[in-house]
Amino acid sequence: MTVERTVTIVPEAGLHARPASAFVQAVNDHDAEVSAGHPDGDLVQAASMIAVTSLGVGQGDDIKLVADGPDAEAVLDELERILTTPEEELDTDDG
Amino acid sequence: MTDAISEDDIDELIPANHISLSEPPAEKEACIEYLLDLLVKGDRVEDREKALEALLERESETTTGVGMGIGIPHAKTDAVSRPSLAFVRSEEGVDFGSMDGEPATLIFMILVPEAGGEEHLNILSSLSRALMHDDVRDRLHQAEDESTVQDALREAIA
Repeated sequence: MTVERTVTIVPEAGLHARPASAFVQAVNDHDAEVSAGHPDGDLVQAASMIAVTSLGVGQGDDIKLVADGPDAEAVLDELERILTTPEEELDTDDG
Repeated sequence: MTDAISEDDIDELIPANHISLSEPPAEKEACIEYLLDLLVKGDRVEDREKALEALLERESETTTGVGMGIGIPHAKTDAVSRPSLAFVRSEEGVDFGSMDGEPATLIFMILVPEAGGEEHLNILSSLSRALMHDDVRDRLHQAEDESTVQDALREAIA
């Protein structure tokens, strides 16, 4: 099952630093292939930190997420939560 | 949304004296200081302690080891008055605690003034985009002198 969603980035840091690491971690924690990118641009592998960093996505930008696999819906829910939660309210379990 | 970095920007960002092809310290924090000292010697840093504090603060949020053997410690700080980039290469690898577990062998440092706005993200994303390509990483690993490193970056980023 392939699902896609476009989300507007809320954290001040954009998709960098803590939000980015929570994002990549969440992708790796789910059974789904996820790609991400600007809505009108090429998509990159969301499981790779360097690929996610290369997008240069800042606060207020839109990002398109495409997920495929058994956890597709679940991973998009989690990614949307991470991308729409202000950084100071984001709880991460990556230590 | 990022703008491309122009060729002139590479010469301004990373002159030859910001590049070291000697083995850096094996420990992450010492390696960060080693890179910072390239920028200090290049006369880019007005306050070394302040710059180091900003770099380590960023590192404490989450590692700048982005995987694929790349580390990009970076910070926005008024310890510098213009955007500056430094590079060191490690044969041994430096443990940056990246998610893919790969030790960093190509390590860049970016320092940008606080007022730099999105310039910080532009440099970081352009550099990351370039370094995702195997041939760019190979060229940086094989470069025999500083100007070859600059050429590789100029072609990959500009």
